[in-house]
Amino acid sequence: MQLSELLGCTVRDTGSRAVGTVVDVRLSITGDLDDSPSAPTLFGLVVSPRTRSSYLGYERSEANRPMVLAAWLRWRHRGTFLAMWDDIGAVEPPVVRLRPGFHRYSAILRTD
Amino acid sequence: MNASSNTFPDAPRQRGRLLDARLHLLDRQMLDDRGVPVGIVDDLELSADAFGDIATGARSPRVTGLVSGHVVATRILGGQPPPSRLQTIPWRLVAAIGTVVRLRQTDMSFDALWVEHWLRDHVVARIPGGRHAAK
Amino acid sequence: MKNVFAVALGILTAIGGFLDIGDLVTNAVVGSRFGLALAWVVPVGVLGICLFANMAGRVAAVSGRATFEIIRERLGPRAAAANLGASFFINLMTVTAEIGGVALALQLASDVGPRLWMPVAAFGVWIVIWRVRFSIMENVTGLLGLCLIVFAVAVFLLAPEWSGLTHQAVAPVIPETESAATYWYFAIALFGAAMTPYEVFFFSSGAVEERWTVKDLGTSRLNVLVGFPLGGILSVAIAACAAIVLLPAGIEVTSLSQVVTPVVAAGGKLALAFVIVGILAATFGAALETTLSSGYTLAQFLGWAWGKFRRPAEAARFHVVMMVTLLVGTAVLFTGIDPILVTEYSVVFSAIALPLTYLPILIVANDPGYMGEHVNGAGTNVLASAYLVIILAASLAAIPLMIVTGAGQ
Repeated sequence: MQLSELLGCTVRDTGSRAVGTVVDVRLSITGDLDDSPSAPTLFGLVVSPRTRSSYLGYERSEANRPMVLAAWLRWRHRGTFLAMWDDIGAVEPPVVRLRPGFHRYSAILRTD
Repeated sequence: MNASSNTFPDAPRQRGRLLDARLHLLDRQMLDDRGVPVGIVDDLELSADAFGDIATGARSPRVTGLVSGHVVATRILGGQPPPSRLQTIPWRLVAAIGTVVRLRQTDMSFDALWVEHWLRDHVVARIPGGRHAAK
Repeated sequence: MKNVFAVALGILTAIGGFLDIGDLVTNAVVGSRFGLALAWVVPVGVLGICLFANMAGRVAAVSGRATFEIIRERLGPRAAAANLGASFFINLMTVTAEIGGVALALQLASDVGPRLWMPVAAFGVWIVIWRVRFSIMENVTGLLGLCLIVFAVAVFLLAPEWSGLTHQAVAPVIPETESAATYWYFAIALFGAAMTPYEVFFFSSGAVEERWTVKDLGTSRLNVLVGFPLGGILSVAIAACAAIVLLPAGIEVTSLSQVVTPVVAAGGKLALAFVIVGILAATFGAALETTLSSGYTLAQFLGWAWGKFRRPAEAARFHVVMMVTLLVGTAVLFTGIDPILVTEYSVVFSAIALPLTYLPILIVANDPGYMGEHVNGAGTNVLASAYLVIILAASLAAIPLMIVTGAGQ
């Protein structure tokens, strides 16, 4: 299966209520990024309740420059959260279902 | 408005670095071991154990390879070219990930380069000076 | 001498951007119709291009990524494709115009009709791209293009009424014979000429061609600070010459010969020789810049191997695209189309390409992943953000104004 099939999927909770759209897929990589990193695993899905895509990623980073643009984009994408792999119950493109009692985690990608 | 106004808790930390596929991997340039461009990362291949209903505690899928081979039309309008036109480059050939993806030395030929090679052999090489460095 | 050559890239980029055949004529038209009432637009444009070209150069030096690659990586393929579509047409139209411009300049020199010169010009552009090293190309064209300084010299030789001239520039007044819409159309055209996207595509790709690294950040800045203001000064000089000689006499600028009339009036045959060499170098340089840009943008969007630093056999698609561009441009010229008219319509496409080009540059210049510690300072960000607003406004107004004024009639 291709990763792009996940992008743009509608995310629903157990009550089939839409909670957002998959705007990105978070991966976890071990090893040195500069020296043969190991194959990434799927860590979670970045879900945005209000928008369908996000190329610039300001809502997920701690960078806030240029200020006006970053502030505006953060506002546009507010509410974006991360759904971890364990909380994903079913993947049937174009829908992803989350498990009951799923957690919304922060979408901020920390660089440390 | 800054990062701390995001009210969700941080996800449990794990070994390894986190990166986002669309932000950091898709649409990136791939270079071979000599630094020559060989294509663009158009998609990522996931291990098959991902879809339909997911059993509790199932292992998370792995990225098994980089997919390249989109043409201009699919890149702009979306959708997929037929699978025969796509080429999957296995992950073990990835040497480094940064603003570009560097591949390791390999004998694998990159399908995306057939037009390049055809033009090189039939057009460029036929014009005097095509094979030489500029003076 | 070596120091002069170090800024050759900046000078060539500026000449190809500000002083190509379309701009040479537009500056003269503006001077002959508005005097110096539009002179204020030039410093505004120059500051904008200096700001963004410096950023693009810095990004290319630190990360090794040229601007169009960044557009694809950060804006995503759809926005990049929109930009590519617009930029591709701009490049094609400008290449067509420049080949025509070279032919017109050769006609000025030789009295032989331009049609004969067109294939010669196209072939000349191609052979330089095919065989001549990037550094030699930029040094020779840049140096010869400096002959255009004769316009500035001519302004002094014409001994104008200085206070009147400065008054026109500092307290601009729309002449009675012109409408406000036309005034603002030309203002946008001049601004667009200063900030044409292919300037940054060329400058950043040139930075990669020259293998600039973090150590060359000073050189990059020097190129920008020398090249673009020089281009701006010469733009104003051309308008000033037209304002001094053509405006009082009510002479309309319809061809290259009116553009050079003030120079001949000021300095005779010698000045004419300099100006012809300058115009030839400028149009030839612009042809090189836009042809290379058409190759750079397409190759960078699609991820091909590109660059003059590679042997043509190692960048086959890149070179074939440029050959086809030159062939199509020459073919279009043979249909009898006026090359200068062609550049006026490229303003339309500039309107689309401008915001889509400069936004990603600003974003990436702030991205530590690409830039490490060399991200933008706060002052740069404030100024650049302000310019993005101006650019957006100019983009939105360009097409309506073009329709209303009939492209400045």
